[in-house]
Amino acid sequence: MADPEGHMLEPQHWVERYGDYLFNFAIVRVNDREKAEDLVQETFLAGLKAKDRFMGKSTERTWLTSILKRKVIDIYRKQYSSRELSLDLYEQDVSDGDFYRSEDPFKGHWMDGKGPNSYSLLPEGEMEQEELARFIQLCIEGLPPQLAAAFIMKMIDEEDSDTICKELGITPSNLWVMLHRARLRMRDCLENLWMN
Amino acid sequence: MSKRMIACDEASFLISYRTDHRLGFLRWWQLKIHLITCHLCRKYAHQIGELNQSFEVYRHHCSHESCEHHLSPEAGTRIGQSISRELNAK
Repeated sequence: MADPEGHMLEPQHWVERYGDYLFNFAIVRVNDREKAEDLVQETFLAGLKAKDRFMGKSTERTWLTSILKRKVIDIYRKQYSSRELSLDLYEQDVSDGDFYRSEDPFKGHWMDGKGPNSYSLLPEGEMEQEELARFIQLCIEGLPPQLAAAFIMKMIDEEDSDTICKELGITPSNLWVMLHRARLRMRDCLENLWMN
Repeated sequence: MSKRMIACDEASFLISYRTDHRLGFLRWWQLKIHLITCHLCRKYAHQIGELNQSFEVYRHHCSHESCEHHLSPEAGTRIGQSISRELNAK
């Protein structure tokens, strides 16, 4: 388990060294404590199975995180394939009809109370940065899972659009609409949390 | 593509779209005209910029293990035991 560049795998210390980090990585992305714990366990066990392939070019933590990331994407893929089975429900969950008026002559205009006010979404001090992190997590938890997956890959993992489309099996047009709908909800949610 | 005026739903989509892509001239022009006349969408555009900056803060904050989620002691023990079992089996 040693390698020529000095990085070593020490599985007996994985839980104490990387347990919290990987758990945090997982729970932000799957929004379920039990599922996140299972993912951490599966990651460590997959790491043990693949330890002979560890080349030592990255740190243990980076290597384990890349395994976990693949597992999270597998969960996203399952969500997207099951979405096709309940398309009506999906459309209802993630449409942007909650934000705009539907009656003429104001069709497409912001609905009362759903448009933005001038309150800033940005934190001012260090204390508010911690608050912001908490608020972002709360708001992501409130997103429909299909929107959350695309949004997290874009905004937290900073994946490019081609990669997201490929991993989730969606078209670029679908992705742009999903990101738009996720941003609508995130903006609304963050504004409400800051105001309250 | 239609040369009509766009409403807030289309404008907000274009505001989101332009954070990742360059708009074609006609779309850019439609959005520009809409933003001149609609104060809510101007605020929306401003806040979408702030949302992107918020995520920069968030990524920085959470890259230092300072996010608040922690593995429970029970889960830590269970996972540690499963690793030990695997190691002993080899």
